[in-house]
Amino acid sequence: MHLLKAQKIYKSFGNKFNRTEVLKGIDFTIDQGEFVTIMGPSGSGKTTLLNVLSSIDQVSHGTITIDGHIITNMKSKKLAEFRKHHLGFIFQEYNLLDTLTVKENILLPLSIQKVSRQQANEKFDLAAKELGIYEQRNKYPSEISGGQKQRTSAARAFIHQPSIIFADEPTGALDSKAASNLLNKMVEMNEKHKATILMVTHDPVAASYSDRVVLLKDGEVYSQLNKGDEDQQLFFNDIVKTQGVLGGVQHER
Amino acid sequence: MNVNQLIYRNLKNNLRNYYLYVFALIFSVSIYFAFVTLQYDASMDPATGTIKGQAAVRAGTIVLILIVGVFLVYANNLFIKRRSNEIALFQLIGMTKGKVFRLLTIENLILYLVSLAIGIGVGFSISKLMVMIVYKLTDVTDIATMHFSTEALKQTLIVFGIIYLLIMFVNYLFIKRESILSLFTIQQSTEIKVKRLSIFQVLLGLLGIGFIISGYVVSQQLFSGDFSTTNELFYAMAFILGAVIVGTYLFYKGSVTFVLQLIRKSHKGYLSINQVLSTSSIMFRMKSNALLLTIITTVSALAIGLLSLSYISYYSAEKQAENFVINDFSLVNEESYKQFTSILEENGIDYQVNQIEVFNVELDATNIMDFNYDEDSSVTMNPSELQLPIISDESIEEIDVDENHFFLSGYSDFLQRFMSFKKSGEATIKTESEQFSMKFIGLNREYYVSNYFTNGGGMPIGIVDEAKYQQLKTDMDPELQQRSQDGGAMTFRGIDVSEQDIEKANELFLTEEIDRWAGNDSQQNMARNQRMNMGLIMFIVGFLGLTFLVTSGCILYFKQMDESENEKPSYTILRKLGFTQQDLIKGIQLKQFFNFGIPLLVGLLHSYFAVQSGWFFFGTEVWTPMLIVMIVYAILYSLFGLLSVLYYRKIIQEAL
Ligand SMILES: Nc1ncnc2c1ncn2[C@@H]1O[C@H](COP(=O)(O)OP(=O)(O)OP(=O)(O)O)[C@@H](O)[C@H]1O
Ligand SMILES: [Mg+2]
Repeated sequence: MHLLKAQKIYKSFGNKFNRTEVLKGIDFTIDQGEFVTIMGPSGSGKTTLLNVLSSIDQVSHGTITIDGHIITNMKSKKLAEFRKHHLGFIFQEYNLLDTLTVKENILLPLSIQKVSRQQANEKFDLAAKELGIYEQRNKYPSEISGGQKQRTSAARAFIHQPSIIFADEPTGALDSKAASNLLNKMVEMNEKHKATILMVTHDPVAASYSDRVVLLKDGEVYSQLNKGDEDQQLFFNDIVKTQGVLGGVQHER
Repeated sequence: MNVNQLIYRNLKNNLRNYYLYVFALIFSVSIYFAFVTLQYDASMDPATGTIKGQAAVRAGTIVLILIVGVFLVYANNLFIKRRSNEIALFQLIGMTKGKVFRLLTIENLILYLVSLAIGIGVGFSISKLMVMIVYKLTDVTDIATMHFSTEALKQTLIVFGIIYLLIMFVNYLFIKRESILSLFTIQQSTEIKVKRLSIFQVLLGLLGIGFIISGYVVSQQLFSGDFSTTNELFYAMAFILGAVIVGTYLFYKGSVTFVLQLIRKSHKGYLSINQVLSTSSIMFRMKSNALLLTIITTVSALAIGLLSLSYISYYSAEKQAENFVINDFSLVNEESYKQFTSILEENGIDYQVNQIEVFNVELDATNIMDFNYDEDSSVTMNPSELQLPIISDESIEEIDVDENHFFLSGYSDFLQRFMSFKKSGEATIKTESEQFSMKFIGLNREYYVSNYFTNGGGMPIGIVDEAKYQQLKTDMDPELQQRSQDGGAMTFRGIDVSEQDIEKANELFLTEEIDRWAGNDSQQNMARNQRMNMGLIMFIVGFLGLTFLVTSGCILYFKQMDESENEKPSYTILRKLGFTQQDLIKGIQLKQFFNFGIPLLVGLLHSYFAVQSGWFFFGTEVWTPMLIVMIVYAILYSLFGLLSVLYYRKIIQEAL
């Protein structure tokens, strides 16, 4: 069953005189419980696609359906409700509130839901320990490292167990150990809690954790790779090979 | 952590951001409350008060509401922009827009209530000071009393209640309109880089300067007689206003960029750190803030101009009274003269009398005036039949005129705009049946008789030889002597008393109602009245001007704080590259010099031309009062520039 379905997505920026078309008619589906990665050269429109799919930016044309709801014309109030229970975000920028501690930042999604304090604390302990930021819980964002911010932001995305998680280069600022911790956590969310995940990355290793890779080029879907029954190493090789064909800036990071 | 805790934590942690906003609020409330308290002060009561200024003060409060309202809305906008990240995040985790709005509303309500309480307290304590200043300016000797006015409280609460609703409405629109993504990027969006300078922009800028200059040129001709009908005058004024305001806008939009670009060009691509820091960001910001800067400049100019004019008026009060009344007292008829002198004698006050006989003749001044007489002119004066009061040279010691000569006295800057005379020439004086061709030999600015005799002070007075005077008098035209009771010549009687008797004499003059005859005047009284009228107006204008100065200074200062936050990362980089704090601060100083200096300079220039175009309606002395006002304004304004530099210094220090 399709959890997310995008039909003929167009997105352009600028005004009448100075228009850049970034997404040029993207058709795209994600099944319930799938872990999908979007790859592609820098500037190909990955972040833009993620933004429109996750309801925080508007498409110029086309429809997006999540869980049977057409979000492209959904009332903002319903959309908020939807985000509250079903969506989790990890961004390229960390988007933490400087005025709250790490713990408070992570607990933010629970603070607007009816969750008991005890339950909230349990969930926090679990998520924070798994992502290795428990020690930092009482510090402010300005007092922790970039990678720690990234993990704080990830913990915030997981804490209310959303049904779909959007992640824009979640491992960008992490060393390989922290990166694999985070990816394993994502796989676990995906397998145990049936969370659907859509991730953008440049890193073929990170991509190889997922079930399917969608390659974007110049705002269009260039090709797709399915992991199928391959193991992670083989899938990784496939990804690197296809990327080579695709060209562009592959290893900028 | 639930939503209420979230609000509380946010308030607590955001105080660092809030303090500016709170300051703006407290400042606005206290200023407003103090001003309204003044309105309800007993001395302002139209029936029983000593100053009777309630209506004027009320008009002032309306302007004050406008200033304060705009200021608070602006402060709020800056403030909410800073918090856009937070607002976006709340929506991201699933808060509805309505809920985010409610959160902000509650936060603001708390801030508002606290600021209102503090502001009213501060306002109350400064209100006494204000009343004292008003008394001082208006020569009122009452003791200022502290009196908490519930009316003022009510009015303050209503006004700030409305402003609160307005701000909430603005916030509502903001939250409603902005998407989550745009909220996340709002803070970076001010960082757009300067685009290349287009020819179009340069032309626009030059056009702006052209507009301003043409406005200035017309303003200087405004009252020189070139625009004689009311309609023409009105169009000319509208043109000046339009040209200067639009010109200012275009100037900020284009010229500043243009000029700074020239500076950059002249360095052939090699930019010192000062120039990088100052010019590039100013170029962009002057352009994007053109509207705001135009408003600030225009209102600054207005404030400086009005302040100068009212100060000119206040400052000239004494001189003007001297010109109008001549002696300590001026009396227009025999009856009042007899009464007043006998009263003075009864009270043992020595006095001196100065008597001058005056009557009117008709003057054909066609050959000595530069007066473009216009058919459909609203000016009804006809230069061939001017009514001219004349006196004999005998009446004035230091003057002696030849038989067929005459000259004019009582000429002023004011008169000059409407009738300009040649240096000399032939003119004809007409009596009832005869005409005398006389040689006009010039003008002076002395006043010899009170304004009652010069058609209310509007006309100069002619001085002729004694023999001629007597000759003219025998054939005087009774129809021209409108103010004389018997159609004959009148006598101006000026009375001087010694310095120490003046207060007493003045009191007698008033208690015995010597002024019940129109035209009888006391110099001291007139000056005092003028000061009382102008004192209150000056206070109101001064107060509003000061409020405006503080608010516009704050707005520019807030902007600088905002910009400095955005620029912090670049300072970090620059300092890592090895630039010292001094290097950076030098650039900042230059930038602040432009930021505050350009609007101030343009504003001063505007007001200079405005004052020059019409000051003579307000008084007799222009330079001293105008310069004092301008210098004080400039100094106070610069303080905000200084504050900005200090703030930047802190940011730069923290950057590494
Ligand atoms: N707000 C915007 N206004 C105008 N153009 C934009 C805007 N956002 C993105 N673009 C343009 O859209 C294109 C795609 O941007 P996007 O951020 O989606 O790239 P990306 O694939 O995420 O790149 P990266 O891997 O570098 O993050 C870029 O060419 C970019 O310049
Ligand atoms: Mg991106």
